[in-house]
Parts: sequence; C-alpha cells; structure tokens
Amino acid sequence: MGDRNTARDEEFQSFVVGRWPRLMRTAFLLTGEQHAAEDLVQSTLEQVYVAWRRVGSADDPEAYVRRVMINAHARKHRRRLKEFLAPKDDSGLVHEVPDTGDSIAQADDRRALLTALAQLPARQREAVVLRYWEDLTETQAAEAMGCSVGTVKSNAAKGIAKLRAIPGLAETVTQGGRK
Amino acid sequence: MTSADRERKHDMTQTDIALLLADAADEVEIGIAPVQAVIRGGRRRRARRWAVAGATALVLAGSTGATVALTGLHGGGDGGTVTPATRSPAPDGRQVELPQRTELAKGTDRGTRWRVVVDVWEAPRNEAEARVQLDAMHTFKEAPADVRRAADLVGKESYFVKRGLDDDFGQVVLQNTRPATDAALSGRDIQTEAIPLRPADPQRLVIGQVAVTARQVTCTWQNGTTSVVRVLSEEYEPGDMVIRPLPGSSDNWFVCLAPKGTAYKSVEVTE
Repeated sequence: MGDRNTARDEEFQSFVVGRWPRLMRTAFLLTGEQHAAEDLVQSTLEQVYVAWRRVGSADDPEAYVRRVMINAHARKHRRRLKEFLAPKDDSGLVHEVPDTGDSIAQADDRRALLTALAQLPARQREAVVLRYWEDLTETQAAEAMGCSVGTVKSNAAKGIAKLRAIPGLAETVTQGGRK
Repeated sequence: MTSADRERKHDMTQTDIALLLADAADEVEIGIAPVQAVIRGGRRRRARRWAVAGATALVLAGSTGATVALTGLHGGGDGGTVTPATRSPAPDGRQVELPQRTELAKGTDRGTRWRVVVDVWEAPRNEAEARVQLDAMHTFKEAPADVRRAADLVGKESYFVKRGLDDDFGQVVLQNTRPATDAALSGRDIQTEAIPLRPADPQRLVIGQVAVTARQVTCTWQNGTTSVVRVLSEEYEPGDMVIRPLPGSSDNWFVCLAPKGTAYKSVEVTE
C-alpha cells in the first residue's frame, strides 16, 4: 500500500505542476487578485488531493478540478471580489482610448476588463470565464457550475452583454486589440 | 454616443472577449507550483475529515454471542432536519447539550440517495446536566427509550442512528441508552441490526458494531451472496462502506447494504 500511495503522490505532483499555470490564470480571472487566485488554486488542489485516488483515475480529472474550483470560488471569493476590484470612483469604468502598442494603455485595458468582470454577479462571471477563457462547451460549463445548460447560456449572455456595454473595452476590440 | 459607436460596440464578438480574457489572465504571476504545501494541506484536510468521523465514542454492552443491544425503532421518528453539531467545547471538554454526529455511510440505491448517521450524547454526570440534555434531545427530535425522567439519563450515554432518504433526512431507526461504564466489545463480538433501506423494503441495511481489533466483517444475504466490509484505511473515500476505527471509542461501527432483490441473512467478523 505504501508503494501505491507513493506512486499516487507522484502522479498528483505531476498533475499539480502541469496544471498550475492554467489554474492560476483561471483563478485570477475569477478572483481578480493575485493572492486570492493563489489561495483559490491551492485550496482547490488540496481538495483534489483528498479525492485523488478517484479523480486521478477518472476519464476527465479536469472536470472535477473545475467543479471544485467553481464551488470554492462561489463559497469564498464572491463577496471579497468587489473589495479587490471595485473602482474608487464612478469614473473607474470609463477609459480613454490610447494608442495601440502603449504598454500602459494595455495594462489599463486589462484592469478595465478585470474591473468589468468584478461588476458581474458571480454566476455571470463564472459563466463568462468558463465559456470564453476555458473555452468549455455549454454542457461542460454547466457541469462545472452545477447548473443547467440554460442557466449557463443565460448567465454567459448577460455577462457578455454587460462587458460589451463598457466603452473602453468595446473601443479596444474594435481597434483590433493591443496584443 | 453616436449610432456608429453603438454599432462598434455590438461588433465586439465573443472571440474578442476571449482574446481580452486571455490578455487579462496574463497579468497574473504564475510562480512555482507549491506542490509540497498542497500535499500537506490535502493531508490535513483528510485528517480533519477522519477526525470528524472519529468524534463518535459509542460503547455497547458486548460479549460473544450477546443479544442485539440496539433498540429498533422501525417506522419511528419524524424525518425532521437536525442542525449539525457545531459548538465550542466546554472547558473540561464535555458537551452534554449537543450530540456528536458521525456519518457512517451513504450511497445511491435505485435513484434514491441514502445516508446513515449516528448522533451520540455524552453521559450526564448529574441530574442538572441530564435535564439540559433531555431538553436538547427533544429539540433534535430524539427521544430516548425507557427514559421517563431526566435522572434516568445520569451516567448513561445515548445514541440515535438515523437513516436519511433523499431530502428527507433524519428518521431515527435505532436507538440505545446504556451505562457509559459498560465493557467494550472484544474478539469476534458483533452486534447488529438489519433494517429496511426504504420503509416497505426487505431488510437490506445492516448496521453494527465490532471490537476495535476486527479487520473484516462479512455480511451474508439470503440469495447466498456476501458483502465484505474492511477496516478504514487510507484508501477510504466518501461513500465507501468500511469498519470505522474511531479514536477514543471502545467499539467500531460498520454498515453494509444487501444487493437489490435480496435481504439480510447473517453477519460475522471474519478477520
């Protein structure tokens, strides 16, 4: 049994190392803050470790990890998000359209998007991140969020509509982005 | 805002959103994965989970060939919801006003989710504590058998086994109140009760106690098949049926469930 446990731990370590960057990016979009993202990913992976015997041998361990992360986010970070990202004044969402290639402007755009995400209700934010960052199907997103496909569609559509309503972001896109 | 501005906003496609999200996600500092910290944290979580399971300390009178000590309450109880026992321990660590709760087993059978939990009440030391406990039991919709007045509880621990089905949680199916000084089970002692999983079903659900030295229990069903339940190990996952060694407890508990279409015949410690 000891050998099996050691092998399982090694397998888990490889999983963590391999998935850490992607999970951090997802968590960052969900939480909007570096340390909150680290906490969310670490907490998620600790829970995955407890169930690793079952998760590691599953056909799609990623689905389980996503589900745990979304649950953890819903529990722990929903209320905190606005503390991190709420604009200091009413003008926080309105940005001038700077020149393409301007790194400061690019950072502003990122901040604008993260701020805009922070304005979304948690379920809309989760739906947008899962559908358009994780590139999940509606069915996969529904599984991760523990809800129906219809709920995912509705939340994603509302979230996208709100992001579209932000002038700075719309301008960025129509100018081809800054990447 | 001009109509052209509005048009441009609507041109913001979902692909554009994806690109913006990818750009924003790059702002995070990835760093090195804290693998060892994650594993340590995972082990702590697992230990905490087991510690919760180990919070039960039940003692049943037992000796080889002993009669069943559980009092069956088939069809009893009211299915009320019970608040989980979350509280701060008293200075001396005794808590007579709230039970310790342990989930023994859970699963899904023919689409019905089921679980078995045990609420354990510590023995009151005096009549005042007993009154507090008896009142508290009533709030949990748990009524000890053969107890007419609070003083009857002094020096006795009580436990209530509850069976939950889907969202109807908390029907008391077994109950016992017995002196806390009774001896623990030993050797191949075993005390069990078979009850229906659903009210009108045959007796498929077996709940029992064995000595802490027992490593394996074999349940035999009427159709000749058997189910083997082994002692809790690191391989344990929620939902597994195991013999649970509970730290600080005199006996261990187990649950096994007969396959569909058959029922309980016998059970014994086989290892």
